[in-house]
Amino acid sequence: MSDDLDALERRIDLLRAQVRTAARAREAALARELRGQLRKAERAWDTLVSAPPQVAARPGEQEGRVAVPVRERVHRALTLLGVPAAGRLVVSVHDAFFAEPLRSSQLTTLRRDEERTFRRSPYARPHYVCAALTDRLTPARGLLAVSTWPQERRVVGPLSPRVDFLVATVQVAACAGRLDDPSPAARRLLARMARNVPDAGSGFGEPDPERVAVAARAELAVHLEADTRQRAELAQRAAAQLDEVACLFGAATLSDVARKGACA
Amino acid sequence: MATVGERVSGLDSLRGTTPAKPHDARAIAALAANPGCARRALMDGAGVDKDAAARHLGFPAPFGQSPFAITRGNAFEALVKADGCAELLRLLRDVLRLPIDEVAYQDVQNVGAHLRHAHTRTLFDRAARGEQGTLYDHPLLSLKIAGHTAFLEPDVVAFQHGGRFHIVEIKSFAVIDGQADPASVSAAARQAAVYVLALRTLLEELGHDPLLVAHDVVLVCPENFANRPMATLVDVRRQLAVLKRQLARMTSIDRLLAELPEGVSFDLLPGEDGAPTRSAEALAEAIQQVSARYAPDCLSTCDLCFFCRDEARRDGASDQLGRQVRDELGGVATVEEALALADGLREPAPGQEEIARLLRDAERLRRECLA
Repeated sequence: MSDDLDALERRIDLLRAQVRTAARAREAALARELRGQLRKAERAWDTLVSAPPQVAARPGEQEGRVAVPVRERVHRALTLLGVPAAGRLVVSVHDAFFAEPLRSSQLTTLRRDEERTFRRSPYARPHYVCAALTDRLTPARGLLAVSTWPQERRVVGPLSPRVDFLVATVQVAACAGRLDDPSPAARRLLARMARNVPDAGSGFGEPDPERVAVAARAELAVHLEADTRQRAELAQRAAAQLDEVACLFGAATLSDVARKGACA
Repeated sequence: MATVGERVSGLDSLRGTTPAKPHDARAIAALAANPGCARRALMDGAGVDKDAAARHLGFPAPFGQSPFAITRGNAFEALVKADGCAELLRLLRDVLRLPIDEVAYQDVQNVGAHLRHAHTRTLFDRAARGEQGTLYDHPLLSLKIAGHTAFLEPDVVAFQHGGRFHIVEIKSFAVIDGQADPASVSAAARQAAVYVLALRTLLEELGHDPLLVAHDVVLVCPENFANRPMATLVDVRRQLAVLKRQLARMTSIDRLLAELPEGVSFDLLPGEDGAPTRSAEALAEAIQQVSARYAPDCLSTCDLCFFCRDEARRDGASDQLGRQVRDELGGVATVEEALALADGLREPAPGQEEIARLLRDAERLRRECLA
């Protein structure tokens, strides 16, 4: 921007000198035209100086439309999945089914920012992107969850990573099945997930969403009962031992759990 | 025989005031690559930072992992472990015939670094007692190396229903058409052998059968030119035997220590800013008091390789021609000596008659071919 201003100032100086020469030579017509050009240049200079610094248009921001904040985008992807998910999966799901792009670098500080917002004014927002809790009630590494989910869904036992993957596969297959023409990203995502579910496809060509969902449900049936039991126990423990911030974002250390447990 | 305490203090005085460098699996595996090298055995035993020493001597090591290789390795590992180890489970169901219900996953990294080793012990104790548990992500094992404890972090340990533990090693070199770079595979196998040994030691300490840890490790690599992982079973019994022998040798390091002249030290005498203050010549002299066993393979495993190569070249040692040539030239230490024997300029010493005859024959054949 300063380059434009410099160029304009040089032009204004030049025009002034030319106006003076024309006036001295009594060439009225030329002087009038040069004055007009000078005004124009000065006006351009004025607007450039008083304009606020230009912001590069954000990706995904289109004219007349406000971009959806990152937390809302993550919330949308998580709601579609219905289970705690790692940032990488959240990004792939968002790419597959929503229009605006989401970059994994945008997720790095999200959980911490949400925790800070929540601590400042609890429950001011309808929902927060929060952490999933481990069996030690600490935040699980890299997993994102939604605060409005029941506590059972926001804890992870030993079987939960697999169960959550299978549930996510069912959800993605259902979404892809509903679309007439799923995006290439959606097809890729479904193919990648189907590869890791037994009997979900022949390995050649595109997987059939319905078959993928059936296969994922079949494996899910093996683990679900034990997982539900473990998660219920964990959720009870979390409710008994943690305060409301820690319930959402996890206890920082084991001593936090112990201290609260001792008080309770 | 010296007691453990005496040995440790002997090794510590060898290292001097420089802080000890902890061993990682890569370094321990490299030990097994050249078991005959007394210089390496002593310096590793004492926990000397060989990289710093080599740099100070003016022979910085040519390797160290490139940041690109590390990023690539981490990205591939993340891919294999994504979504509750979904890819890995598919591979293990294929290779180890893991039953469908064996999917429990424990991320040991969820625990703070200072508690991770204790947590690992508890988890493996429970697993060995038959409690549920299949995949352990980044457990922290320990191994005693010449009186010092080295902490090791395998990528994944898988526990199979049959009651056996398998080490899983995730590497980012490609397997193309079923063929991988043999050097990379053997390096991975050596590294995995270190983990097998550490896990066996852990189980033994906990009062379980150490043979619960399988000697077959699962090596996961990208297949062909895509990023799609594939798994193979690699038998590491040979590497394990070499490693055990080497570690046993390190514990019998007293002999090497006893042979050292008084007052030898590999100390860098780091100043307040950590920069070495000892003169490079004095350090080189001290290091040369211990004999090395240089081989060209050292160039890919040892930090001191350039220093030892320079020494071998100056002495004209037959070592620089590779292990095979050196072994065939048994009893002939230098290239000059071998040439003199071949030309007949030098009378073979007692015991050298056989090799002298072979060398002369070879020289005669060469002359006939060139004539």
